[in-house]
Amino acid sequence: MTEPKPVVLVIDDEEFIRDSCSQLLAKDGFRPETAENGTIGIEKIQNVNPDLVLIDLKMPGYSGFDVLDRIQEYNPNIISIVITGYATVEYAVEAMKKGAFDFLPKPFSPDQLRIIIRRGLERRRLILETESLRREKKLMEENFITMVTHQLRSPLGTIAQYFEVILGGMVGKVEPKQEEMLSKARDRLERLMELINDWLDLARMNRGQIVDRFKAFSLKKVLKNIVEFMQPSAQRENVSLELIPYSGNDSVEGDDETLTQVFSNLISNAIKYNRPNGRIKVSMEEKEESLVVDVKDTGIGIQEENLPYVFDQFFRVKRDGEKKSKGTGLGLSIAKKIVDAHGGTIHVMSELGKGSTFTVFLPMARPASDKD
Amino acid sequence: MEKAKILVIDDDPDFVDAITPILQSAQFSVINAANPAQGKEKILGEKPDLILLDIMMDSLFDGFSLCHNIKTAKEFKDVKDTPIIFVSAVKEMTGSRFQFQGEDQGLIGPDDYIDKPVKPDDLIARIEKLLKK
Repeated sequence: MTEPKPVVLVIDDEEFIRDSCSQLLAKDGFRPETAENGTIGIEKIQNVNPDLVLIDLKMPGYSGFDVLDRIQEYNPNIISIVITGYATVEYAVEAMKKGAFDFLPKPFSPDQLRIIIRRGLERRRLILETESLRREKKLMEENFITMVTHQLRSPLGTIAQYFEVILGGMVGKVEPKQEEMLSKARDRLERLMELINDWLDLARMNRGQIVDRFKAFSLKKVLKNIVEFMQPSAQRENVSLELIPYSGNDSVEGDDETLTQVFSNLISNAIKYNRPNGRIKVSMEEKEESLVVDVKDTGIGIQEENLPYVFDQFFRVKRDGEKKSKGTGLGLSIAKKIVDAHGGTIHVMSELGKGSTFTVFLPMARPASDKD
Repeated sequence: MEKAKILVIDDDPDFVDAITPILQSAQFSVINAANPAQGKEKILGEKPDLILLDIMMDSLFDGFSLCHNIKTAKEFKDVKDTPIIFVSAVKEMTGSRFQFQGEDQGLIGPDDYIDKPVKPDDLIARIEKLLKK
């Protein structure tokens, strides 16, 4: 498969320059494009995505310098070469500061043009190669994480499965002392698996790029799925889990996968730290430009002095009594990171012995017509 | 009542070993296959009442496409209504759980999901719910 020809755009108000450059470029195996002023030049850049742009600095109207600025905004990887009428140092330096790769003083010979274009394209090739290598490296790192966690989780899952079967009495009677020890072992194993999953989540988050995956989606649908999914879990703990009906606007701009994680975590906590016959209510509301989600439980609550630290990494409440602090302490800090990345906020209100309410504010998706 | 026959398709013999007593405790009989190809044979040959399909075998796609084929392909016509539960080793919803993105590719999904390690009563409940239909 032949490689596409490099696209070179010539922005110059002099027809002679545009024509002669085009001829030379075509002959040398490039695809020439032209524009007779800065305004048309900017348009063309966005349409044809050139590899390299030749810009005449001295143009009426939109000046060459303005074009340079726009190129930097649009795609700083495009190579810009300025054609200067007056080969004074200041203009060249100014242009380089604005991102120009090089400058070509008029009048120039075909060979001078060739040399400078060749250097410019070589630089572009290197830039693109670096980008592509960076992407590859990222993919490999992600695959590595996936591989490692799969290799860690898979055997742990099997071990956990055996515990379930044995403790369920399905392969013979279990003596009380055996039950006690096996239960403890199973709990330790669950904690370990949670920790691995939390680390995996953190690693994926630190990779950043949640923002790249943003799109508009229905938050109500996500919450509905989560609540449905967690019903069995809630029932096992004898806790009622309810999503309050909501018929307003529920469109959020964000990443549904990580927001699913946030609300699953909040609801999972609400189940974990609840009391028998307790209740969990998940509700939505539109407040100004935000969608507000409340996860309210009738659980054991959080002491006032601990409230400021609840979203800190590894923070776990010290509890006296048999209810040892469950969990890894990472869940809420991950949730906060995700909500922050969405431009939202997360808060908690709580009363010890009565229950807690976690509130998440998320910016609503603006309707398409509002976007520029 | 006749015992229901459950087909477990999973490449991990330990999982099959662990889950068989669970199913047997609920009076189900168990047959198994180690990969989608064997699974296909057993489905057509033994006509199980329900299928537990591990989707973490070799490639995710194998599990998805087997499910889709059972529900839509001509060769599976006689068994297309067999309920299918996806079994995956991905953590419950809190994060890394995959969502059935197969839907985006136009693949028909399963009747239910369950995460490994499966809790015996959860599994039995889900199976019985699907068998009642």
